Amino acid sequence: MIFYKRDAPLFIKGCCIYFGCFSMATLTRQDLNFGQVVADILCEFLEVAIHLILYVREIYPSGIFQKRKKYNVPVQMSCHPELNQYIQDTLHCVKPLIQKNEAEKVVMVIMDKEHHPVERFVFEISQPPLLSISSETLLSHVEQLLRAMILKISVCDAVLDNNPPGCTFTLLVHTREAATRNMEKVQVIKDFPWIVADEQEVHMEEAKLIPLKTMTSDILKMQLYVEERTQKN
Amino acid sequence: MDDLYLDNIDEFVNDQNKIVTYKWLSLTLGVHVNTAKQMLYHYLQQKRNESSGTPLHATYLVSGKCVENGSTYHKVSVVREDKLDAVKAKMDVTISVHVYSVQRAELKDSSPLYSTDYDAVKENLKNCNKYSAIRCAAAVPLSSSELQRAQEKALVPPVEKEISKPGFNENTSATSKPSAKQPAGIMGMFASKNASKSQESSKEVKTEQKEDFSLVETSKSKTASKANPMSNFFGKSAQKKADEKPNKSIKEEMDSSSTASATASLKQSQTSSKSETDVKEEQSKVSKALKVESKDTRNKTKRPEVVDSDDEKMLSQQKKRRRIKKPQPDSSDEEVVPDSPPVPNVHTPSPKKQVKREPVSHQEVSITNIMTEKGYVSESYSESEEEPESNSQAKDSSSLKHQKKTSAAKKPTKQPSIMGFFQKK
Repeated sequence: MIFYKRDAPLFIKGCCIYFGCFSMATLTRQDLNFGQVVADILCEFLEVAIHLILYVREIYPSGIFQKRKKYNVPVQMSCHPELNQYIQDTLHCVKPLIQKNEAEKVVMVIMDKEHHPVERFVFEISQPPLLSISSETLLSHVEQLLRAMILKISVCDAVLDNNPPGCTFTLLVHTREAATRNMEKVQVIKDFPWIVADEQEVHMEEAKLIPLKTMTSDILKMQLYVEERTQKN
Repeated sequence: MDDLYLDNIDEFVNDQNKIVTYKWLSLTLGVHVNTAKQMLYHYLQQKRNESSGTPLHATYLVSGKCVENGSTYHKVSVVREDKLDAVKAKMDVTISVHVYSVQRAELKDSSPLYSTDYDAVKENLKNCNKYSAIRCAAAVPLSSSELQRAQEKALVPPVEKEISKPGFNENTSATSKPSAKQPAGIMGMFASKNASKSQESSKEVKTEQKEDFSLVETSKSKTASKANPMSNFFGKSAQKKADEKPNKSIKEEMDSSSTASATASLKQSQTSSKSETDVKEEQSKVSKALKVESKDTRNKTKRPEVVDSDDEKMLSQQKKRRRIKKPQPDSSDEEVVPDSPPVPNVHTPSPKKQVKREPVSHQEVSITNIMTEKGYVSESYSESEEEPESNSQAKDSSSLKHQKKTSAAKKPTKQPSIMGFFQKK
């Protein structure tokens, strides 16, 4: 199964144009191609991270996971077509928000059988206003940072309590202001409708905050932390 | 040795929640690997005796001889602590056991172990064997002229091997079928997809292995002189540390430099991971295989893996068979190297262009690769124009070379050779 096919072409074309013309110039946020690049990187990362969290937190049986390679290290990705489709569609819708820097947080909520959240993996995203690719090694640096994030997710077991059996997950996006108003017009959203999240899913009572990792780079700042319910069972 | 290191390890493990492998520790603290192993051992002892605080988990590297299907294999495994005794019991002779890593989290699979070492090794690429216990006086970096010649050689064979490609594919399908059947249970649902994937990737493996054939022969003849078949692997042990797993994985997983053979080893390892038993059998025949340029396709496929033909640079490192025991009964006790699905043909133009297109045929499209590959992939994206594009791309590749460096973590100019294969494009 090919994971990145849908997104990859966009990304590559965007980069191609960018590098072909500008080489190591400084670009600003207004350059949409560049926004695309960041969005692509981020969405790829989120996909890998979500799959990894599903694996590490044992939301789904480990049998459906298969080792793949990302950022030059092995990661576990699911092979279940519907699950993958769900995640891909979600991120596909999130991508335009990221491009316009309207997505504040992407949250993966893990809920128990009664649909009460037990854990929330929060990816807080921010993009510096003046994005610049002036460094030669920028992308490999970003790759390194993302690799570290993935590694941190792999060991998050140590700081989290076990989840009760029969958990499910859902993905939420927190946007700035009223970005979603425009979203309804976008075709991709019409095929894969989003609804406003329940208060129940958004807020968790008795939450413990456990920071996992922060990354800062020229093009992207991301923070990953976990809100965990104190009593899970 | 003073005990400050215990505090260091404690900080890494408990405060930073890191996975401390012995290799990472040796590079971080600047000590010999054997010292690092002992440090980890002492730390574990101390913490366990205290019997307080957070529980620690450890993994061990076990190596020994065991008999499977009637043949004796030298097996090296990384195992979790709870499986350690079971694995030791299965072996006829346990040659060595040492602590591989210490961490707080109970690892579900071996991927984080590899990730931990990856960056540490990358940063110390030039001298990552500084603290290694493996030495070989004959392993010296290639000069740039030798490097050129090697690259040229790699370009020539693929043309010839293409003709014999269909023949090899039949054999591959035989070997890959057992592996396709391996996934059971839940994975069985996706098995059909996997089978076709493995077929595809095996085909790619075959063609690239042909390229390596010429390189393999040179290395083979050099190592043929060793009496002990096993030592043929170790003959030209190189710059790597005692523990092969991350090295092999690094070799295999790092995207190749422009040379074809680098990718070949990646593909080879995929084949190897698919047909492990075949590989094991091969080990026992290796001395003959090394001397005889047999036309047996099996040997051809296995020899490159065994002798690790990835440029002369990579030559014969310790090719111990690594079996990383995963905590769950995975469908395959395999190398860290994953069987990532091949990028569809849309992205990877026909194999015959493989040499120049090595980056494209990579199954994994990482960020850095995308940047360098764009020259290839974006143009080839319009499938109908594949053929004429290749020429323009050949020219483009030189102009893009400087951009290759933008994404390559290691600048090629720094390390002319043996480490060269570590370079990303």
